[in-house]
Amino acid sequence: MSSHSHYHRLKNKWIDRHRNVKNIIWEKHQDALNWAINSFPAKQLVAGSLGGMLLLSATSITMLPKSPLLLTKEQHAQDLDTDTKLMLDLKGKIPSDVRPLSLDEEESIAEILTKDFGFRVTSSVHGKKLNRSYGLIGYEQHLVLFPGDTIYSHFENDGEFQKFSSAGMAPGLSAWRYFAFSKHALTQKDILREKYYIAVQTFLAPGFDEHVAEFRNFFKYRKMLVINPENGKAIVCDIADAGPSPWTGKHLGGSPEVMSYLHRVDGAGVGPVLYFFIDDPEDVVSLGPATIR
Amino acid sequence: MKPIRQAQGKHFYSHIIELESLFVHIEDLEISDGEKNHLRLLADSTIHHTIIDAILSELNTEDKKNFLHILSCEDHNDIWRFLNTKVDSIEEKIKKVAQDLKKELHEDIKTAKK
Repeated sequence: MSSHSHYHRLKNKWIDRHRNVKNIIWEKHQDALNWAINSFPAKQLVAGSLGGMLLLSATSITMLPKSPLLLTKEQHAQDLDTDTKLMLDLKGKIPSDVRPLSLDEEESIAEILTKDFGFRVTSSVHGKKLNRSYGLIGYEQHLVLFPGDTIYSHFENDGEFQKFSSAGMAPGLSAWRYFAFSKHALTQKDILREKYYIAVQTFLAPGFDEHVAEFRNFFKYRKMLVINPENGKAIVCDIADAGPSPWTGKHLGGSPEVMSYLHRVDGAGVGPVLYFFIDDPEDVVSLGPATIR
Repeated sequence: MKPIRQAQGKHFYSHIIELESLFVHIEDLEISDGEKNHLRLLADSTIHHTIIDAILSELNTEDKKNFLHILSCEDHNDIWRFLNTKVDSIEEKIKKVAQDLKKELHEDIKTAKK
């Protein structure tokens, strides 16, 4: 048997062990663990050994931002190992301070992500790139899908309404206006584009001022892989709005669904993400949570 | 005197639970550094969960919360002070669960090598 098979056999066995012990601890001490999640600031949890346990295996949704995705304990357990692998792969590649990455850093990270996810991840497509690929992500509101869309017509079901309506609707239209001309014309693709959207600073992209129309078309619904390097959560998003303003100190924004999945929050707890283009000319990469191969 | 936290490893029990003997065997496997890292992390996290479970199982509802609060502050001296007042022979109990699990993990490595 090859050493690779040895590794996979051992890894799978240990993943099972890990999953079992996490399930046991949550079954036996759920009340106390949920209490801890509700009681301590996320930053305090992230920093400590308690956080390593709670953040990676919580059954509770209560520590997530305003509108959490309802992940089950099993989903958390399953995610842990792929998320951990991604964190390890990126370890040492990301600067300790949140600054624009050098070209070498971008290339090195893009190479890792391409290998891990199995689709081409890159910091530039056709010579076009954003002002940065590592920055602080803020919390955005839901975008109007079609004329007349409100918080009461926006969601596909009651569960989503319960989870995400508190974020509210953005007061204006997105940079590309409506996703569909009417509710009747709305497709599943439109719904996903809004659900998993990010707003990036398209207006700060090198060359934007000289080629506004060309750049606007290029960025419209362009897919990006967004990763929280502190927990290994990755999600395929699309650019559906421009922002935030530079004075905010933030570099991009995520829909409530995106922020919830990444476990990112706004305000004092704002944190960084990696955001790289996905070169997907055939449109085969699905929007939504992504796991490594 | 240096607090235990600074003087010892990353976990409050690192000074009584050695993982080196386990890591040495992982190091001996003919696999990539990334794969070794992944195994080390899985082993470390499984042992951590097991130890926390053992401790919580010894405490009543209120003391579970107190323990998690102290644990979140990461002051290892306080953690031990608390545990020593709440649970008899806690150090021995932690050593025992960790030792039992390490033995099983060693066996897993041996089996995987065959």
